[in-house]
Amino acid sequence: MNMQFLVDGLLTGSMIGLGAIGVTLTYSILRFSNFSHGDLMAWGTYATLMFVGAITALFGKVAPIAPLSFGWPLLLALALGMLFTGGLALLLDKILFQRLRAKGQMIIVVMASFGASMALRSLLEFLFTSSPAYFSRAIQIAKPIGFGIRITPDQIALLLLTAALVTAVHLLMTRSQIGREMRAVSQNIGLARVVGIDVARVVRFTWLIGGALACVAGVMIGVLVQIRPLMGFDMLLPVFAAAILGGIGSIPGAVLGGLIIGLSEAAAVQIFGAEWRAAIAFVILMAVLFVRPIGLFGVGER
Amino acid sequence: MARTVLEVRSLEAGYEPGVPIVRGASIRVEEGEIVVVLGPNGAGKSSFIKAIAGLVPVSGGSVTLDGQDITGAPAHRMVRLGLAFVPQTENVFPLMSVEDNLKVAGGVLPKREVAPRIEEMYRLFPDLRERRTTPAGNLSGGQRQMVAVARALMVRPKLLVLDEPSAGLSPKFVSMVFQMLTDVRKAGVTILLVEQNAKAALAIGDRAYVLVEGRDAHEGVASELWNDPVVAELYLGHRASPAQGGESR
Repeated sequence: MNMQFLVDGLLTGSMIGLGAIGVTLTYSILRFSNFSHGDLMAWGTYATLMFVGAITALFGKVAPIAPLSFGWPLLLALALGMLFTGGLALLLDKILFQRLRAKGQMIIVVMASFGASMALRSLLEFLFTSSPAYFSRAIQIAKPIGFGIRITPDQIALLLLTAALVTAVHLLMTRSQIGREMRAVSQNIGLARVVGIDVARVVRFTWLIGGALACVAGVMIGVLVQIRPLMGFDMLLPVFAAAILGGIGSIPGAVLGGLIIGLSEAAAVQIFGAEWRAAIAFVILMAVLFVRPIGLFGVGER
Repeated sequence: MARTVLEVRSLEAGYEPGVPIVRGASIRVEEGEIVVVLGPNGAGKSSFIKAIAGLVPVSGGSVTLDGQDITGAPAHRMVRLGLAFVPQTENVFPLMSVEDNLKVAGGVLPKREVAPRIEEMYRLFPDLRERRTTPAGNLSGGQRQMVAVARALMVRPKLLVLDEPSAGLSPKFVSMVFQMLTDVRKAGVTILLVEQNAKAALAIGDRAYVLVEGRDAHEGVASELWNDPVVAELYLGHRASPAQGGESR
């Protein structure tokens, strides 16, 4: 068996995992499934593309950092894009979700997120048309690294970026005060208030992190595949599958769930053919949930 | 003359407007005291104490903490105002370690005071030091109450308020929890608690109030209240005899 699926799977899995962190955070802290998360990914990607354009317009063409296909403008634009997407998520909460949340019915918030998803996606198609865009049209040569595996420098860089971000978020959740407050709110919101935690601040922070990571996931897809208004929406199913597989609320779980889905999809393509891609991922999801309904790292409701 | 830490005047409160559960209750807590609020089921004890802590909407009367009006302040502000509340159930973050439970409560303190305060809590509750990395949800009921009390004390409150600290505990842990509260008082903390377990609470309390139908019906020295025949028969559910303390739930 060709081992190339490992690289493909890890890359897809990273994109899915980064998206799943945002979904799992909003679910565990705000208690609703945010179906507009995929569209935040797409918005973040287009925003980053715009920032790259602005930086190029300001500073002229910048040579890529050899051997990568992109230079510092993309990294700077990504940082700005993360801020933008975090801000967009905050805005969405402010004008839409927050009011509906106050009324209590979670299903209404979930439906509203569907609506937000469609509106965001249509707006992107209106602004940028549905034809694909690219960060770079340069073609990268994949280098063999043994065991029949080939990988491009971009892919290596993005895998490292994912690992760094996931570690950073994990440390933030376990070591920092805001992380402890987020965990406290997700475990018992009433007690969190009694303890003196400003829940509204924790909610804002959750949106910022979720939005920022959605942007990174989108940009990864943009760099490795292409940029389309539907790119995020198409990821929604695997992203939710990863969050559920890992156990809702668990950040390591979301990442591991993403990697499992990504790897099994890639393996399925190789073994059974491309048309089985999604089916195999969901068979695995269901199999895990049969044995462990709360997901790999999940904890039961208390 | 001791300083008055808490003064509650004709408090009215309830979950729904126009349906008060607490109907004009007044109590007073002096510095260094343990004050117990007793009463039969449905007397509004729990609502009363939650209204003081900002968890039940207040519709009338006033709550003054150390001279400062705190009537109806939202729960998350109460800690900063100096009132720490320990709910009856689910009063720890079950998936967080003992130490993280304390740290998260320390967010109200200046950063450099958090670690020394946790150290003070471990000195007051040595059992918790041994369990510092254990998720609070894995502890025994008694130890969980310890975490809840230590968590509340993290912020050096002027007043510690507890809603039925003995609820749901086995007899062994009940005496442990009340012993713990007397230790906490020795450390200089003023305590207000509501209890079903009248006998155990009166044994450690200085003064007690009996709440009936949302009003304070009796006040007295804790040790005498247990033998007060009127109180005993009407409100505590026993006949001034050396029967086992408390009513069953």
